[in-house]
Amino acid sequence: MNRSIVGSALVAAAFFGPGAAFAQPAPEAFVIGGVVPLSGAYALLGTSMQKGVDLAIEQRGKVLSKPLRAVWEDTETKPQTSVQKANKLLAGGVSMLFGDGASGQTLAIMPVADQRKVPLLVTTSAADQITGANRNRYTFRTSNLVFMETRIAAEYVKKAGLKSVYVVAVDQPVGRDAWTTMKGILSTMGVAVAGEDFAAIGSQDYSVIIDKIAKSGTQGVFVITTGADTITFLKQAGQVKLGSKVKIFGTGFLDDDAAMAVGPDVVGVKTVARYHFSYDTPANKRFVEAYRKKYNEWPNAYAGHAYDGINWFLDVVEKTGSWNPETWVTAFENSSYPASLFGPKQMRACDHQALGVGLWAEAAAGQAPQPPLLLKVTDTFPAAGLYPDCPKT
Amino acid sequence: MSVILIGLSLGMLLFLLAAGLTLVFGLLGVVNFAHGSLYMLGAYVALQLVAWTGSFWLALLLAPLAVGLVGGLLERLTLRRLYGRDPAYQLLITFGYILVIEEFIRMVWGVNFRSINPPSPLAGTTELFGSTVTDYRLFIIGFGLLLSLALFFVVERTRIGIVVRAASANSAMVSCLGIDVGKVRTGVFVAGAMLAAISGVVAAPLLPLKLGMSFTIIIDCFIVVVIGGLGNIRGAILGAMLIGMMRAVGQQFAADWIFLLTYGLLIATLIFRPEGLFNVRGRTA
Amino acid sequence: MKRVLFLVLALAIVPLLVKDRGSLYFMTLIMIWCIFALGYDLVFGVTGMLSFGHAAFFGIGSYVFALVVGKNAALFLLGVVAAAVAGGAAALLMAAIALRLSGIYFSLMTLAIAELFYFAASSPLRTLTGGEDGITGVPRPAFFGVSFYDDASFYLLVLVFFALALAGSALLRRSPFGQALNGVRVNEVRADQLGFDVKALKLAVFGISGAFGGVAGALLASLMQFVNPQGLHWSTSGDVVIMSLLGGIGTLFGPLIGVAVFETLKETISSRTVHWYGILGVIFIVVTMFMPRGLHGAFERARLRFARETWR
Repeated sequence: MNRSIVGSALVAAAFFGPGAAFAQPAPEAFVIGGVVPLSGAYALLGTSMQKGVDLAIEQRGKVLSKPLRAVWEDTETKPQTSVQKANKLLAGGVSMLFGDGASGQTLAIMPVADQRKVPLLVTTSAADQITGANRNRYTFRTSNLVFMETRIAAEYVKKAGLKSVYVVAVDQPVGRDAWTTMKGILSTMGVAVAGEDFAAIGSQDYSVIIDKIAKSGTQGVFVITTGADTITFLKQAGQVKLGSKVKIFGTGFLDDDAAMAVGPDVVGVKTVARYHFSYDTPANKRFVEAYRKKYNEWPNAYAGHAYDGINWFLDVVEKTGSWNPETWVTAFENSSYPASLFGPKQMRACDHQALGVGLWAEAAAGQAPQPPLLLKVTDTFPAAGLYPDCPKT
Repeated sequence: MSVILIGLSLGMLLFLLAAGLTLVFGLLGVVNFAHGSLYMLGAYVALQLVAWTGSFWLALLLAPLAVGLVGGLLERLTLRRLYGRDPAYQLLITFGYILVIEEFIRMVWGVNFRSINPPSPLAGTTELFGSTVTDYRLFIIGFGLLLSLALFFVVERTRIGIVVRAASANSAMVSCLGIDVGKVRTGVFVAGAMLAAISGVVAAPLLPLKLGMSFTIIIDCFIVVVIGGLGNIRGAILGAMLIGMMRAVGQQFAADWIFLLTYGLLIATLIFRPEGLFNVRGRTA
Repeated sequence: MKRVLFLVLALAIVPLLVKDRGSLYFMTLIMIWCIFALGYDLVFGVTGMLSFGHAAFFGIGSYVFALVVGKNAALFLLGVVAAAVAGGAAALLMAAIALRLSGIYFSLMTLAIAELFYFAASSPLRTLTGGEDGITGVPRPAFFGVSFYDDASFYLLVLVFFALALAGSALLRRSPFGQALNGVRVNEVRADQLGFDVKALKLAVFGISGAFGGVAGALLASLMQFVNPQGLHWSTSGDVVIMSLLGGIGTLFGPLIGVAVFETLKETISSRTVHWYGILGVIFIVVTMFMPRGLHGAFERARLRFARETWR
C-alpha cells in the first residue's frame, strides 16, 4: 500500500474524527444550553447553577408542550473555553444559552449570543458592564450587579455611622471598579478613606495588609475579594482578632460555604447576601424544601438565582406561546415576576437588568439542622435607589 | 518589625515546599512539576485525619507518611522506566501526575472549600513589636528552622546523606560498591513527597483548601529553587527567606512592584548566576 | 510532499460534507493549534530545545492582531502579518536571553520570560489589553469583497494558512538549514566543530517558530472573536508540549496527530464525564511510558512490523 496515502489518510481520519463527535439534539424540544464552570476555580458555582436549573426542569417537565431539557458544557473557568463551548452549543441548536460563571467568561460569550441571535440568561456574573457598556439585545441578567451591591454596602456604612473605611481588594477590574464606585459614595457621605490595598488574586498571605489595617485606626474595612481569597483573608484576620477592633464588611464576597470554610472567626462579618435559604417568602420556602429533598443540602446563592432566573424566563416563554426568540426577548424585557424567591422582581427594558430587593446579612452561628455557621439576613433594602440610572442612548 | 516576622514565616512556608523540590532535582535530576500536587494532597489528607482523630499533630505525623507512600508508588511504577531517556519525558509524566492527583482529590473531597484550624495551643496571638502576631506563625518559623537543620544534618553529615549524594554524582560507581541505586532513587523521591506533604499540612491552617491550590504556590516555589540553586538546601533556605521578605516588605510599601521584582530577580539570577545565588559555580551552559 | 497535498485536499472537501457549524468551528480550532504545534516542533523536535514559553508568541500574536485590526474586518491580512512579526520578534528576544543557558535552566528561563508577558498583559498593560476581561468583538475577516464570517468560509481561509505552514515546515526540514538544525540536536559540539554557527541557527529557528505561533494566535483571535491573557498562560505552553510529545516529536505529521487526538479526547471525554482531566492524565502517563515516539512513532512501528510480516 502506498505509504503516503496511508499516512495522510490516518491524519485526515484524525481530522474527520472530531466531526463525528458532535451529535445533533433531538428536534422538537426546548433545549437550554448551559455554559457553566464545572472545573477550575469556579467549579462550585457551576455545579450549583446546574443543580438549580435541573430542579426547575424536573418540576416543569415541558415548555410550549414540548419536552424541556438542558445540555451542559464545562467552561473550566476559562473565557476561551466558554466561547468555544457556547459556539458548540449554538451549532448544535439550543433554544437559549444559560451562564456563565466568572464575569470575564460571560463578557466573552455575550457577543456570540448577540451574533447568533439567541437569548442569554445571566444569573451569576455581577460585572456592571454586562448590562452596562457591553449590553446587547439578547443578554439578560436576573441577579445582582456590582453597582447595586456597592450601594447596599454604602447604606450599611451610613446606618452603622462609620467615619473611616479601609479597602482591601483583588487587583482586577472587578475589584477596582467596585472601589471607585464606593469611593465616590463615601466622599458624598463625608466618610474618610483610611487606606487602600490591592492584592494579586490567589494571594496566599494577607497578614501584612491585615497588620496595616489594624494599625491604621480605621473603623471599618471594605473587602472586595472572591472565592478562596475571601476565605484566606477572613481566616487570617480572624486569627489576629481583627473583627474585634474593626467592622469587616463587603459586597457579595461571603456566603454560607465560605463561612464554613473560614471557621468560627467569621462570626460578625457583614456582607451583601445574594440569596439566602432562610429568606421568608412562600416561593422560597417551597424551593428550599424541594431542593433539600433532591440534593440533601441547603441551596446556595448560585442555585437559588439559577432556579429563579430560569423559571422567570420560561414563564415568559410559555405566555408568549411562540417559538420565535425575538418574541421572547421583547416579552422578557418588559416582564415582571411576582413569584420570585425574592419577592416581586421587575425586568428593565433599557438595560435588561432585573430590579429586586437587596439583602444585607451578618455571619452567625446556626442551630441544627442548619449549618453551624451561616449568614443571617439583617436588613432588606428596597430596589429604589440601588440601581444605576437607565443609560442615555 | 512585624513585617519582618511575617516575611520570615512566609519564607519558612516557601522553604518547606522548596526543600523537597530542590532535593529531588539535585539528587535525581528530575524536575517534579507535580510537587505542588503532593503538597495539596498532604493538606487534604491532613484534613481527613483531623476529621477522624481531632488531632493536628497526628495529622502532621501521618499525612507525610501517606503521601510518601503515594510518591514511592508513582516512582517505582512509572517514573523509574524513564530514567535513561530524555528529561522531557520525565516532565511530561509529572504533568500526568498533576492531572491524576487533582482529579483524585476532587472525587474524594469535592469542589467545596475546606478548612483546618490551627491546633489549640497555637491558636492564640502574641503582641510583638506593636503588632498582633499569631502564635501559629511563630510556630511555623520555629518548625521550619528545626526542619532545615535536620535536613542539612542528614544530607551533609550522615551516611544516608553521603550515599545519596554519591549516587547522584556517580551512580555507576555507587552500584559497584554494592548499593542498590534504584532504592536510593525511590527513597529520595519519597523524601521529596514527604517534605511536600509536611509543607501542605503546615500551610493548611492558614489557607482554604481548594482544588488548584497546587498551582498558586508552585511558581513561587520554582523561583526559590532556582534562586537558591537546584539541589542546594542551604540555598533554598536563603532563597526562600529572600522571596518571603520581598513579598512582605513589598506588600507593605510597594504592592504593585512585587511581581516584577520577584521575576526580575529570577531572570537576573538565570542570566548572571544560573547555578543559583548561593551555589558553587558549576556547568550550566 | 505528496502526503501534504493529499491531506490538504482531504481537508478542503470537508465543508462540503460536514454542515454542522460546531464541527467546522472545532476543526478550524484544530488547524490553528496545528500551526502553533508545527512551529513548536521546529524548536523542540528538530533542534532539541525544550521551550516552556511558547505561549508568549501565541498570546502576543492574538493581542497584536486584535489591536491592529480593531473593529475593521478588512485589515485581517495586515493583522496576521503584524502578529507574525511580533511573534517572531518576541521569540528572538526570548532566545537571545535564554540561550545563554542550556538544559533545564534554558527551559526555566523561557517559562519565566513567558510569565512576565502574561503578567504584563493582565495587570500593568490592562488599559491596552483589557486585563483579565480581555478584548471582545474581534472581527472575522472580510476583504477583497469577500466575507469570511461564517464558519465554513473561515475554515477554508484558515486551511490556506495551515497548508502554507505545513508546506513551509516540510520544506524547512528538508533544506540544508533543517539538516543543520538536526545536527545541532544530535550533537551540538560536533556541529559547532564542523563550522556551523550554532547560536545563529538556534536564534533563527526560534524566531521562525515564534512567527508560526504569532500567526496561530492571530487566527485564534479571529475565530473566537475574543482575546484574553489565557493564551499567554504557562498552561498553554504546557498544552503544546503535551500535544507534541503525544503525537511524536521531530516528525512532520506527529504534532498534527497530537493536536487532533488531544483536542478530540478533551471534547469527547469532557462531554461525558466531569472526571475527564483525570482520564487525560492517565492517558499521558501511559503514552509517556510506553510510546516514547508518540502516536506517530507507534503507528510507524506497527506499519513496519506489518510490512515485514507481509513480505516474508
